[in-house]
Amino acid sequence: MMTSCENIAYACTRKVCESGLGDKVAYKWIHNDLSDSDITYRQIEQASNRVANALKALGVTKGDKVSIFLPKSPELVECFFGILKNEAVSCTLFSTFGESALFDRLSDSRTRFVITRLSLLKRIQKAREEGLHDLRGILVTDLPEHQDDFVLSLPRLLEQASPDFDFSPHLDAETPAFIQYTSGSTGKPKGALHVHAGAAAMIASFKEVFDIQPQEHYWCTADPAWITGLVYGVIAPLICLTGQVHFGGSFHAATWLGILQKECIDVWYTAPTALRMLMQEEPQVFSQYDYSRLKRIYSVGEPLNPEVYHWGRKVFGVELYDNWFQSETGSIMITNRPGLPVKPGSMGKPLSYIQAFILDEKMQPALARSQGHLCLKRGWSSMFRAYINKDDLYREKFNGDAYISGDLAYQDQDGYFWYVSRSDDVINTAGHLVGPFEVESALLEIEEIVDVAVIGVPDPILHEKIIAFICLRKDSQWSRALELKCRVNISNKVSTTATPQEYHIVEKIPKNKSGKILRRVLKAWYEGNDPGDLSTMEE
Amino acid sequence: MMNVYDQLNEVFREVFADDAIQVTPETTADDIEGWDSLSHVNLIIAVELKFGIEFTQKEIRSFDNVGQMAACVQSKIKN
Repeated sequence: MMTSCENIAYACTRKVCESGLGDKVAYKWIHNDLSDSDITYRQIEQASNRVANALKALGVTKGDKVSIFLPKSPELVECFFGILKNEAVSCTLFSTFGESALFDRLSDSRTRFVITRLSLLKRIQKAREEGLHDLRGILVTDLPEHQDDFVLSLPRLLEQASPDFDFSPHLDAETPAFIQYTSGSTGKPKGALHVHAGAAAMIASFKEVFDIQPQEHYWCTADPAWITGLVYGVIAPLICLTGQVHFGGSFHAATWLGILQKECIDVWYTAPTALRMLMQEEPQVFSQYDYSRLKRIYSVGEPLNPEVYHWGRKVFGVELYDNWFQSETGSIMITNRPGLPVKPGSMGKPLSYIQAFILDEKMQPALARSQGHLCLKRGWSSMFRAYINKDDLYREKFNGDAYISGDLAYQDQDGYFWYVSRSDDVINTAGHLVGPFEVESALLEIEEIVDVAVIGVPDPILHEKIIAFICLRKDSQWSRALELKCRVNISNKVSTTATPQEYHIVEKIPKNKSGKILRRVLKAWYEGNDPGDLSTMEE
Repeated sequence: MMNVYDQLNEVFREVFADDAIQVTPETTADDIEGWDSLSHVNLIIAVELKFGIEFTQKEIRSFDNVGQMAACVQSKIKN
């Protein structure tokens, strides 16, 4: 085990400048309006030094949690490194999160400062009304003047901050670096803690999986609030001096295809949902663009269905490599990659330094092609070190040396792994893991609703879509206006990605005798299947 | 009587829970935090309820900005 390692922020910024490559373009940032800016390593180094100084002046010190609640932007990257240079712990949060989702994460992480922009400020202030006792201030990236002693203008703070910052390039390898929140099937979201030592596996996996050559251009479409965007859009490509682009906007078929062409993208890392959305476009849309530079497509987040794989090969004329990892694993664990024949629909094989295996219900090795728990032998450097404030849940993720991923899968006779489903109730919609509890809590806030349960069911675009089953008060009636009320409440309290697509009114939510929702029964009802054993169901 | 833009503005503020929103004909999804493909469904339902109209799928897909949405609303109200 490593005893010391480089600070991730040092490896991504200052080290490159010290090697004489400060003027090298770290990435091209394409803005929403498709204008772009080349950002050099020196610019990131100096901008993050200013952020580091501003945070230090506010009293931020080693181990403090600083959350970033920003959409994809250069500021997000600079703030991330500014936090790490103080040996503080960054927590990046999706800008789609609503006030309840924010409250859960900001309170659980005991965030001291949160960095945001004006358009998102209200959500934090609403979360604050619920009581964020550790929060010392909000730094706003586009606020020209300090609003008061609590809501501060980040540009004002940066004006006074030096572009130089003194910090140690090396630190204890187990120093916490960042927290990635992930949803659980019950209870609140879990904050997976990652340490600076994790960069070693992030770099190793980036090289082994993507094998990007110096002249190649790379585009990872993931938001840095997601582990994929942070590790493979920021940390690994910056350390590896990869020529890359970032796009600050959201999905739009013509825009994305235009970027592939204009930026001569060679290696494209995206999500199956994005590919499935592209698949819906008229075929002539694709013939308008030139992808002759494109060499490899990678995807992550949900399984890449064989039909999407074959469609992608036909339209783009290149191989598609699906891979698998989690917020907890910190880097890719199982993957398809060049040199390994692709079995469409498979996750591929473990990386060279990863041991993956399937255990049955008794935690014994499963036979080939037998479905079981997908597990990994612990010991890779980017493995999470804790769930913040949830030691018991962390311990439950291990059986001896085996990390139990929570996914069900099987391994075929050739060693390829095949995803089957989650082993818990977490819903994977468009690559986002959504915990039913958060959605149900937001729905129960609506006065017309007395009980509720949500489940995920297969969807051709999103992999899974969220379905809500609702019991109404006796004096209430379902209407489009009430549906809108549900949708808006979930979107604004939790996240747009957590908003159910369908609402079904039922007399009663099936529960067992201890009050646990029987989601398998709801799934069976929805899919028209036999619900199976109902002996434990509450009368 | 409130004009279409005033009423649309009310809808936007309700859907995106932001009293500071001020829409113009040129407003697009890039201008409003949280206006993504998923919240767009909420917005469409809210506009339909507000004006007592229904959009076709083709119309929904054709809206590039608030001006186009307002024009479609106005044409449906007239009819």
